[in-house]
Amino acid sequence: MAVNRWVATGNFFSSYQEEQRIFITHTDRLIFCVAVTLLFIWPLVFELSNKFMLVIDNTLIAIVAIYGLNLVTGFAGLISIGHAAFVGVGAYTVASFATVLGDRHLLITHGWPLMIVIAGFVGAGFGAFVGLPALRLKHLYLAIATLSFQMIFQWVINFMTFFDQGQTIPVGRVFWFTGRIVRRQHYLFWYYVILVLVVVLGFAVRNLLRTRYGRCLVAVRDNDRAADAMGMHPGFTKVYAFALAGFFAGVAGALHAYLYRGVGIESFTLHQSITYLAMAIVGGLGTVVGSLCGPAAIQALDLAVESLAEHAGALLPAALNLSTALRPLSFGLVIVLFLMFEPRGIANWWRIIRSYVKLWPFRY
Amino acid sequence: MSYFFQLVVSGIVVGSIYALSALGFVLIYKSSRVLNIAHGQIIAAGAFITYAFTVFVGVPIILSFFISLVLTFFLAMSVERIFLRRLIGEPIISVIMVTIGLMSILDGLIYLTPFGTENFSFPEFLPKTPISIGGVSISWTQLVGVIITFVLIGGFSWFFKKSTVGISMRAVSDDQLASMSIGISVPRVFGLAWATAGLSAAAAGSIIGNITGLNFDTLHAFGIIVFPVVILGGLDSIAGAIVAGIIMGLIQQFAAGYLDGNWGLNGTADVMPYIILLIILLFKPHGLFGIHEIERV
Repeated sequence: MAVNRWVATGNFFSSYQEEQRIFITHTDRLIFCVAVTLLFIWPLVFELSNKFMLVIDNTLIAIVAIYGLNLVTGFAGLISIGHAAFVGVGAYTVASFATVLGDRHLLITHGWPLMIVIAGFVGAGFGAFVGLPALRLKHLYLAIATLSFQMIFQWVINFMTFFDQGQTIPVGRVFWFTGRIVRRQHYLFWYYVILVLVVVLGFAVRNLLRTRYGRCLVAVRDNDRAADAMGMHPGFTKVYAFALAGFFAGVAGALHAYLYRGVGIESFTLHQSITYLAMAIVGGLGTVVGSLCGPAAIQALDLAVESLAEHAGALLPAALNLSTALRPLSFGLVIVLFLMFEPRGIANWWRIIRSYVKLWPFRY
Repeated sequence: MSYFFQLVVSGIVVGSIYALSALGFVLIYKSSRVLNIAHGQIIAAGAFITYAFTVFVGVPIILSFFISLVLTFFLAMSVERIFLRRLIGEPIISVIMVTIGLMSILDGLIYLTPFGTENFSFPEFLPKTPISIGGVSISWTQLVGVIITFVLIGGFSWFFKKSTVGISMRAVSDDQLASMSIGISVPRVFGLAWATAGLSAAAAGSIIGNITGLNFDTLHAFGIIVFPVVILGGLDSIAGAIVAGIIMGLIQQFAAGYLDGNWGLNGTADVMPYIILLIILLFKPHGLFGIHEIERV
């Protein structure tokens, strides 16, 4: 049946292929292309300060990490309270190479795409190991397993001399075809690298969810016994989900190491893990759109809290460090309020707006 | 040899306090199947309230200890009432994530007070000279702390075994539907479970605060150690929590006493519980005393 794929007002699928499409309508595809083009062009049009660019880059790295967290928490239904530790594994993979080879070794500066991939696989290995209890256990225990991985990770970094006891380990500047990336171009260069990765990995996640394994994941989350009866192996599915989450986290960690040109423990603590969880929940668990909205929203909230603390700090006694207090407070409130009143997150608002526009001028 | 016994004594001191704090955690899990990630913050809050009443208000320490117990009782009860009551029936994963959010909120609230960043120590109210028997010494604070802990653990055990409220809690943990049908108000039992957990957490926090001094990071770390303790003991066993608490205290002291300083290791007491936790999850996930869940996934 020839359906007008520009102004389709509803879903009229007549085959599985149609349902499995990444973009349902041409309009979706158009919006996506325009958005990506704008994202690529706008840093060239506007003059941006390094500080602002750093915030943007940070958000994009968080998006990569949240893809992974969303796979494990949103699609597989397992809580991970140790995601920052997995990101840290990626970052410290790069840092270990830098410590052993020297931070200006060819592999670090020229072979950075390879380093990012290696960090991803190391993260995947750790993820699979921590996920191993999933072969026998349900989600409650896995939350505790990830928490204990977080604590062990922090201890290893803080007490091992190899990792400089949590002090910053420097990572050298990278080279591109045009030569060494100097300070002025640094954030812009990484903006483009991370943006490409965000788009590519976003497609990878979206695609994964329509493969056999992706549907396994959702089936195991919704009812593991039924999934088992249909011939899937719930345990291995979950371990694999942890490994995938570890991969995304490792990639994000390597990017973090290169962006800050150094690795220190303070970016991979339990607080950061909770921040990641807040991003996933606010964005909307179990959606790709949510992985994009969540980090942006939390980063915006973070900036707002920072400026509020700065303004209020002038009125209050200096001993009181308001921003250390307001950060966990606001993140915690956001987690709790979203879970109570909008468990499907910002992605749900996006869905509502989209269906409204699609059906306009009709109500339903 | 006296070094060994010294470690055993201090292990039992710390371990019994672990047992007391794990008790409340297990109680919440048993009655409502919720993992309370925010338990460490409640422990810290209890300790800070005791200190605030003792030093800032000037109440005798025994009295402020009881005030802290009462306040934390109501704090935990209202947490349940405000945040968790309306999530009854939601998937358990979102309830656990709410407690993670609560942890963050309580963190923020504690950072707003001076306790978040500064160190305090309780005023001395017991003789300073430690008691020593055959080379093994124990300070008065530790001794009194252990005695109070064991009295409280005994009290809680009696409460679960004999009192009507305790029996109704056990009934709810066994079968919610059946206990509803014989007239137990399940939401009320949930509230009471949280309140009792808050009470035991505050007691544990105040005692450990007296022994080690008040520092939010230490108390927070102390709170997270309930996870290895309850996993070792079995998530749903109160006896298991008590035994595992003492075992965990001993393990920590032995690690600190024999591993630190050798082979370039340091601070092993902080990491040992979590390594044991991961090993137990892999090989004996129901712990020492937990119910063997037949369902495997």
